[in-house]
Amino acid sequence: MASSSSTLRAPALRGPAALRRPKAFRGVGRSILLTLPIALWSLLMFMAAFQRAGRDERIGSAVVIVFMTALFFLMMRTGETYRWRRIFFVALGFLFPFGFIASLIAERGTMSIPISRMVSGDTPFCFMVTPTIILPAAFARTIIFPGSILPTASNPHSIAIMIGIWFAMTLVLGKAWCSYACFFGGIEEGFAAFAKRPKLHRFVARYSHILRLVPWAILVFVVLVSAAIFEPVYCMWLCPFKAVTEFPAVRNVETAIQMGVFVALFVGLVVVLPYLTKKRTQCGFFCPFGAFQSIFNKINLFEIRFDRTKCVDCTLCQTSCPTVALSKESIAEGKTLLNCMKCGACVDACKKDAAVWHLKGTPVAVKPERARLLFLYGAWALATMFGGSILAGSVSTMIHWLPGM
Amino acid sequence: MRARILSILAYTGAGLTLMIAVCVPFVLMGVFSNVVAHAGLHIDATYSGGTIARTIQRNGYRIVVYQPVQPRLLERVEPFVQIVFEPADSLPARVSDEVDLDGDGRPDVRVSFSVPADASAKMRGDVTALNGGDVSLADVADESFSRMVVRAGNQIVVRVPMNKVVAGR
Repeated sequence: MASSSSTLRAPALRGPAALRRPKAFRGVGRSILLTLPIALWSLLMFMAAFQRAGRDERIGSAVVIVFMTALFFLMMRTGETYRWRRIFFVALGFLFPFGFIASLIAERGTMSIPISRMVSGDTPFCFMVTPTIILPAAFARTIIFPGSILPTASNPHSIAIMIGIWFAMTLVLGKAWCSYACFFGGIEEGFAAFAKRPKLHRFVARYSHILRLVPWAILVFVVLVSAAIFEPVYCMWLCPFKAVTEFPAVRNVETAIQMGVFVALFVGLVVVLPYLTKKRTQCGFFCPFGAFQSIFNKINLFEIRFDRTKCVDCTLCQTSCPTVALSKESIAEGKTLLNCMKCGACVDACKKDAAVWHLKGTPVAVKPERARLLFLYGAWALATMFGGSILAGSVSTMIHWLPGM
Repeated sequence: MRARILSILAYTGAGLTLMIAVCVPFVLMGVFSNVVAHAGLHIDATYSGGTIARTIQRNGYRIVVYQPVQPRLLERVEPFVQIVFEPADSLPARVSDEVDLDGDGRPDVRVSFSVPADASAKMRGDVTALNGGDVSLADVADESFSRMVVRAGNQIVVRVPMNKVVAGR
């Protein structure tokens, strides 16, 4: 009770960026030097696009190289992580559906997947399905997804390729996948950013201990039911992002209901609730893949910790966390909860520098900036490779569609 | 001393993590993809149609008959047999074929459909059961995973539901 009441009295933040560190956290020269590896990496990642792609793709790649390098420079210069990462992430979230839908319309004239494409294995694999396919794959050697295992001319996003990308990136990012790679999370982060103040702050604060368990419950439900009925249940019934990507063609009452559920979940969890709560409600209170991804935080070396000698229990960190990954108890222990996605919001929000980046095995709050840099180089390199290539594709599509270009 | 060893291990681990990050696009993605590709996994028969039983050669095209697909205990799909007519662009404008599904030398179903000139046009067809093992379908398009006549690339995929009593034998 004490925990709830003190949480309720916490000031409503306008966002973690409302509490700024001094602007010149680091000098320009030193920031440029620290940014150089990312600039070179970005060039390396998009070199192939420059060599073989058309004009639109080259422009898209150039824009992304400048964009990702500039954001990393600002992270180095200001010492803030969340503020600049959010710009990339929201851009990814809003441009991914644009590019994806444009490619669907160009290819098949509709966002819906006809059954003929499912039986021919032409459905691109989405990483969100991963937890639901594990049990059937392990016990029946069967993938319950209408895609193809190996890439084909009509489906380059095969199951083997997409799982390979996801697993390799997860080794580096852990749960930070949800704030540096997931092309869906940026949509709700964008809608959360629109609101100046949270309107349902008290509700979230009061029930956060229950709300943060819901993704685990949904994870267990979809994994077990999918294994029982041999269908990707989350994908077929519960994924809000079907509304802005692709969905089974409406051909009967069942598929019409599915479509209605997708739209309702998208509007509720990705648009309205993030706006009202300033939280990533789908990620924090619903997404089973996010819960699954939390498990990988156990093997990831990077985390956020709290220096109890500096902490004044103001709960600004707790209020600023987009996925309620902090509780009064966890802060008292100097830790985040398992579902922390290392977005850096709490570190940026902390006025006392008590929230710090940390490398497991080292003393807490000793050289936290070193831990931040080690984490950010890996995370930003992969964000540039994965999210950057999606952004480049979407930007080139936009250029292609612009009249007179 | 312990703290120092832990710190050395932690920074070594962080260095390794960075190395992994650098290796992701060049090596690791491919390695993990190959592991998945060679894990002996297959797509669920509800989507893929299952394994091929036999191929029947016709004049200019062939009919591929698949093994019957039996749903698992709680699976919602009906038992079905997939028949593929390929290549679609070599098919006559109107196809009406009697097909032996179980390999006993006697036809089990008659499949009839028109092949639209436009490959993206929605198809419809009829399946007439010639024995008690299969279910007839009139004017079927893409009703469900076990009842369909659709064009998928350069193939016409027909799925015929099986009588549950026969399928269960």
